[in-house]
Amino acid sequence: MLLAYDLGAFISENRAELLDALLNTLKVSAFAIVGALVIGVVLGAARAHRIPVVSQLTAVYVEVIRNTPILVQIFMIFYGLPQLGITFDQFTVAWLSVMIWGGAFNSENFRAGFQAVAYRYREAGFALGFTPFSTFLNVTLPIGGRIALPSSINTYISVVKNTSLMYVIGYAELTTTSLNISNLTLETAEALTVLAVVYLALVWTLSASIRLLESRLALPEAR
Amino acid sequence: MPDWVEPVARYILEEGLPGTLRVSAFAVVGSALIGVVFGTLLTIRFLPLQAVIRLYIEVFRGLPILVTVFIAFFGLPSISQRLEFDALTAASIALVLWGSAQVAEATRGAVQSIPNEQHEASSALGFGWVGRHRFVILPQALRRLLPPFVSLLVNIIQNSTLAQVIGGLELLEAGKRQNERLAAFPPIGLGEIHAFEIFAGVAVLFFLISFPLTRLAAYLEKRLA
Repeated sequence: MLLAYDLGAFISENRAELLDALLNTLKVSAFAIVGALVIGVVLGAARAHRIPVVSQLTAVYVEVIRNTPILVQIFMIFYGLPQLGITFDQFTVAWLSVMIWGGAFNSENFRAGFQAVAYRYREAGFALGFTPFSTFLNVTLPIGGRIALPSSINTYISVVKNTSLMYVIGYAELTTTSLNISNLTLETAEALTVLAVVYLALVWTLSASIRLLESRLALPEAR
Repeated sequence: MPDWVEPVARYILEEGLPGTLRVSAFAVVGSALIGVVFGTLLTIRFLPLQAVIRLYIEVFRGLPILVTVFIAFFGLPSISQRLEFDALTAASIALVLWGSAQVAEATRGAVQSIPNEQHEASSALGFGWVGRHRFVILPQALRRLLPPFVSLLVNIIQNSTLAQVIGGLELLEAGKRQNERLAAFPPIGLGEIHAFEIFAGVAVLFFLISFPLTRLAAYLEKRLA
């Protein structure tokens, strides 16, 4: 070992950079989670209600994303697409790739949630004169959305963890920044400690929120 | 087919595929062995032991696998010189840490799902704790673990690409090296960019390996449910 382990010095000397990096991780995660939520609800509904064409295309999208490594997907977007004249900056590649990945898993979460809504509830909606679309908004979405919530938060947790992969495109999020600092200062152990502590704090907070939300948003009949 | 394709495909399959398979095989076997033992021990009502295994599970499931890979590759050598591993081994170790945490959690559930009468009956036959689990409980629990094992295999194969980040030669790294070679100016390369075709090819390879396995996992889940 070249240097004595000094976590305090590592953090205080690089506080501004590390905070910026944490902010970037959170920004990419937030963009990707919101996008994955929208993709999940829309495509999950298309799958659950068997809307022709969209439903089949969604099935293909989900299978392709689930059966190829996310790192290969990132390489496709970052190295492959520019060959076809489609170029994004690093930040866009960062949130776009995890959003596409999270959206695929999330559309399965919401498909299962919407399919779990008993047909009699929707029938009641139709009987009250709701159109199919407003039946979805007023009946299927609130009930199925709650059922899908825990599994979708699990997907968001994976989205946050996967932002660390932006190390390969050099985007200055937490993993990239922390390791780049340690490359200059040789404080590898300190850099890895920072990464472990911050990611565990983020992930554990999110999974605690699942348990909290699960009890608060449980369907009245399940209470 | 253009001339550049054949050597590129040959390199990816001959140099890259063995790396992916090596990491995946090591990680699956290691995860299964350690995970089943930890998961079974977790069902013993002894608080300090439970706390230690719980912490292990929560830490390695919570960390991004890439961070675990960096810990295995950069972190372990700073503890001891003897813990210095090549990229593929370091990635395998990281995947075992992550995978065994997944397996331990699933095993705990499967072992606890075996009715208590099974424990009582085997105790009555004179089995001790080890014999009871080895011959009665685990054989039944392992059947319920089959679908999650197949899913784990798919996840491990896909996550073996993380070895690329630290320079391990597996499918993705092989593709990246060929991409860089073709992009170099002649006489080394062609001065042509074929990133899209090469990485799409790597994606297709992974799809061909993973898709039958995800189908198998879904089938097993339905049959054993």
